[in-house]
Amino acid sequence: MKQNWRRKLLGGLSLTSALFIFQACYGTPHDFGLDIFIEGQVKSEKTDKPVKGIKVSVSDKMQFEYTNEEGKFSFYTETADSYKIIFEDIDSNQNGIFVGKDTLLTNINKTVYLDIVLEEK
Amino acid sequence: MFLGLRKKSFQRFKKFETKIHELNYLFWECTLRCNLSCLHCGSDCSKDNSTEDMPLADFLSALDTIKSKSDNFTVVITGGEPLIRKDIELCGREIRKHGARWSLVSNGYLYDQQKHISLLNAGLGALTLSLDGLEETHNWLRNTNRSFSKVDTAISLAASSSRLNFDVVTCVNRRNIHELSSIYNYLIGKGVKAWRLFTIVPIGRAKNIPELLLTDFQFKELLDFISLKRKQNSIDLKFSCEGYVGPYELKVRDSFFFCRAGINIGSILIDGSISACPNIDRAFSQGNIYKDNFYELWESRFQPFRDRSWTKKGKCESCSDYWFCQGNGLHNWHNNKKNVLICHHERIQKALEC
Repeated sequence: MKQNWRRKLLGGLSLTSALFIFQACYGTPHDFGLDIFIEGQVKSEKTDKPVKGIKVSVSDKMQFEYTNEEGKFSFYTETADSYKIIFEDIDSNQNGIFVGKDTLLTNINKTVYLDIVLEEK
Repeated sequence: MFLGLRKKSFQRFKKFETKIHELNYLFWECTLRCNLSCLHCGSDCSKDNSTEDMPLADFLSALDTIKSKSDNFTVVITGGEPLIRKDIELCGREIRKHGARWSLVSNGYLYDQQKHISLLNAGLGALTLSLDGLEETHNWLRNTNRSFSKVDTAISLAASSSRLNFDVVTCVNRRNIHELSSIYNYLIGKGVKAWRLFTIVPIGRAKNIPELLLTDFQFKELLDFISLKRKQNSIDLKFSCEGYVGPYELKVRDSFFFCRAGINIGSILIDGSISACPNIDRAFSQGNIYKDNFYELWESRFQPFRDRSWTKKGKCESCSDYWFCQGNGLHNWHNNKKNVLICHHERIQKALEC
């Protein structure tokens, strides 16, 4: 902590910016960590078994992922005040036919785990 | 006089940074394979490179030696072309699980919408894409006709993401220096927020192609371009941190020149070598993750990076700006380390004398 104050003081005296958030010659800009981690599992309400192939997406975002054999999904997405997570069965009857579902998340810290149960059509 | 005081303050800041040498930025050279065969490649990477990729587990073992990572610690995945690895998303996810953020340097050739989404899902937080000119010039340097259209797509995707901290880099050479204004307009049209400009160092394949290397006058022209466009504030344009640029310091970058290699920047290279930036001569390697504890070595070695007094020789010996420059970027020291390969300051002086 003491060292950080000294760094800021010495850096500040030179009146330049980007003192601590720098970029190597052939590197990338810094990641400011503005994301959260959303994971969970989708199961069938009728059988209590995992459902594969459900498309999980965040409203208004390009990102999506499909649940795996264990019905699990996980992804990072950018920080927001709230998130509408959309669960859709788009693979016809390949893994059963399920009714879609939306879940609204608010006040999320850095990670969230969702247990989702889908109703079979 | 005021600038002099600022430089002296910055010099004290550099000394303090060197003393505490907090590791903020760790390159991982995960592959030497590449899908392109660029004319200017400093690493001599190629499609048929037979060097095996580093197993993810080996990198993670080294990463885990860093028990207390700094607040802004990040892993920068580089190559070769990192997207050629089939497990790149897994690499990213595991790096996040091990407590670090990660970013990627890419030529953009494989960066399509599907890849963009899967990388974001895996926690990609920052990205640098290479664009070396308008279509004809870029394709010439990248040595393939489809390269521009591919990177054009990649740039559109990256610019559309508010999650990514993203920039474009351009290696300026004799063919594209006259296109800089057009590239500038193209990038603004694409919604790109940040653009960094480099020159090409005569190493690897580049040393045999004079057309890649700017004349002194063109180098000054490049700095004048950056200086002028920065005033317009339309894009975060800067000269890379490749070297000390004397009278152009603060005109072409946000901060004074500071080569942080081995001070805040480390690397794990393809063969496990531990060094600083990957473009630094491999003779500077400080050890190897297959024999050494990475973080113990970071703390205990790296003397040539943290005490640069050995660079006061050759051109640097009698230079009046040495106290501030301290031997230019370390990637400019090669082979017998008897002289600095490129002195940016000297190039400017020569151009001014013309």
